[in-house]
Amino acid sequence: MSSARISIAIPTGVLTNGALDLLARSGLITLSPEELGRQLLVDRAGLRVVLVRPTDVPAYVDHGAADLGIVGKDILWETPGAHYELADLRFGSCKLVLAVPNTSKLDGPDTWPPMFRVATKYPRTTGAWFESRGQSVEVVRLHGSVELAPQVGLVDGIVDLTATGRTLRENRLRVAAVLGTSTARLIANQASLKTRTQAVQSVVSKLREVAASAR
Amino acid sequence: VPGFRDLLPAEAEVLREAQESLLAEMRRWGYRHVITPLVESMDVLELGLGREQRRRLFKFTDGQGDVVALVGERTVPVARLAAGKLRTAPLPLRLCYAGPVVSTDEGRFQQRRETYQVGAELIGAPGVVADAEVIAMAARSIEAAGIRRYQIDVGHAEFFHGIMDAVKLPDDIKAAVRAALAARDFVGLESLLESTSLRSAEHELLLRFPALRGGPEILKAAGGLVRNRRSEKALAELSEVRALLVAHGIGEVVNLDLGAIRDFDYYTGIIFEAFGPDLGRPVAQGGRYDGLLARFGRPAPATGFMVQLDLVTEMLSRTSGPPAPPRVDAAIAWSGSGLKAALRVGSTLRLLGMRAVVDTEARESAEARAWWTAVGAINLIHCRGGAAVSLTTEGKRTKRLAVAEVAQALAGSGVG
Repeated sequence: MSSARISIAIPTGVLTNGALDLLARSGLITLSPEELGRQLLVDRAGLRVVLVRPTDVPAYVDHGAADLGIVGKDILWETPGAHYELADLRFGSCKLVLAVPNTSKLDGPDTWPPMFRVATKYPRTTGAWFESRGQSVEVVRLHGSVELAPQVGLVDGIVDLTATGRTLRENRLRVAAVLGTSTARLIANQASLKTRTQAVQSVVSKLREVAASAR
Repeated sequence: VPGFRDLLPAEAEVLREAQESLLAEMRRWGYRHVITPLVESMDVLELGLGREQRRRLFKFTDGQGDVVALVGERTVPVARLAAGKLRTAPLPLRLCYAGPVVSTDEGRFQQRRETYQVGAELIGAPGVVADAEVIAMAARSIEAAGIRRYQIDVGHAEFFHGIMDAVKLPDDIKAAVRAALAARDFVGLESLLESTSLRSAEHELLLRFPALRGGPEILKAAGGLVRNRRSEKALAELSEVRALLVAHGIGEVVNLDLGAIRDFDYYTGIIFEAFGPDLGRPVAQGGRYDGLLARFGRPAPATGFMVQLDLVTEMLSRTSGPPAPPRVDAAIAWSGSGLKAALRVGSTLRLLGMRAVVDTEARESAEARAWWTAVGAINLIHCRGGAAVSLTTEGKRTKRLAVAEVAQALAGSGVG
């Protein structure tokens, strides 16, 4: 975190294009995904843009390595931190859903077994959601291809993100419940907001404006 | 164990020196040093800590089956002390402390679970004069530790409480608003407030919470928006404290921050945080907690602060490059019958405040020079028996001196 520049962490993956598009439309910096992907760190026009893994964005911001970060709400559910969540950037919308095999009898809460076995990449959110409904749950934490787990009998269902529902359909799964809706969020380091208020706030309000106009 | 680490000399010495500078400044303000144990009974800690803080404690049972924990902060133990063993001591009490604190959470502070805190508490003094004393001392303490660039944000817990009182919302929404603010989730806050039809100045203030900071002018601006006595009183107190801090000579580093988000169940009045440049979190923080002492049976107003020593050393190492480790002044080698002279020279130099290392075995010239390099001392003194020793200073010729002349020669060369 340099004293003059505002640094912003952008996640790799599905939100990269949306984030870069937002930065361009707000007139802050125009960057192609290829350029950022090649360099990972770009300093230009008083702005530093770093490309990091989605789950790492909160870490960069919490530790002050980046003043601001753009990250999906789904990541924030799993990694609460000391950052400020300032704005809903209104892109990258997707749902966190409970999905069960098409053939499964499970549906509403009254059909759930005494112990619901669920595979997910979101153990914290999943655990809290079931707990708040008084349902016992055994959360199996997986790191990829969660859709496979119910098909091989590992679990009764999965909790995963879906934008279009295609992956679920292809794996013969159907949505039994929606846990939440995630969009890209703007987060800020707590100290940056205080020690470099004007510079940070000016970037924040530009991003806010463009995000709101896209509503 | 993850989150626990060794501190090697280069870091440990800087940390210890910063700690001593902080404590020395606190003593200059008349604060007496206390040491509270690393382990406290859960019965004690439960009186002072919130649910989340309690969750983060390392807990275990002692031989009697009582649940005890490693301390995660030291204000609660000091409050226990002030209300217990020190209950007959006249108020106000001025106490300071230093020591490690432990948290089960990795990553709360750079993956460290054991961190070091230095703090001070002013117990039994209500009012803005006491608030200003503690803030000014926090500023002077971190200056004494060597930090030159910093700012202090001063806020008031009652400003927030007043707004929450005045804002017209159902209780469940209010609870959700508090939770969203505590999580610093302004997106959630916005959607909560949007879902209610009522609109008031208090709504606007809540939405703009993180931006409610600046100089004295924001007190006037906020005063025009709030219409409740709690918030108005908070603004008046902030204005007084600001004036006192100017008199303390630290007006230039003070900002007013009406949107400071802290543990509002714990703090009851003026709150503050100190930030350094390029650091993602406050280096010092504190405030008024008038409710805590009563829970230990001695109702008394209190205010205090805590400095994160790890962050102080990190700031020092960032601003001035890694601080130069203090060098040993003299490596004292010996051979033949020179050991006794070597020991004598060593004692003399240390009496004069220099750092001296006497070799543990006899070494001749070439080996002695190699050993000198390994010690990293400025001077090599070689005692071979007899009345004279040889003194070699880095980059200079070797001189022959009488034993009695060594100390003077080193002191004269500007070493020490």
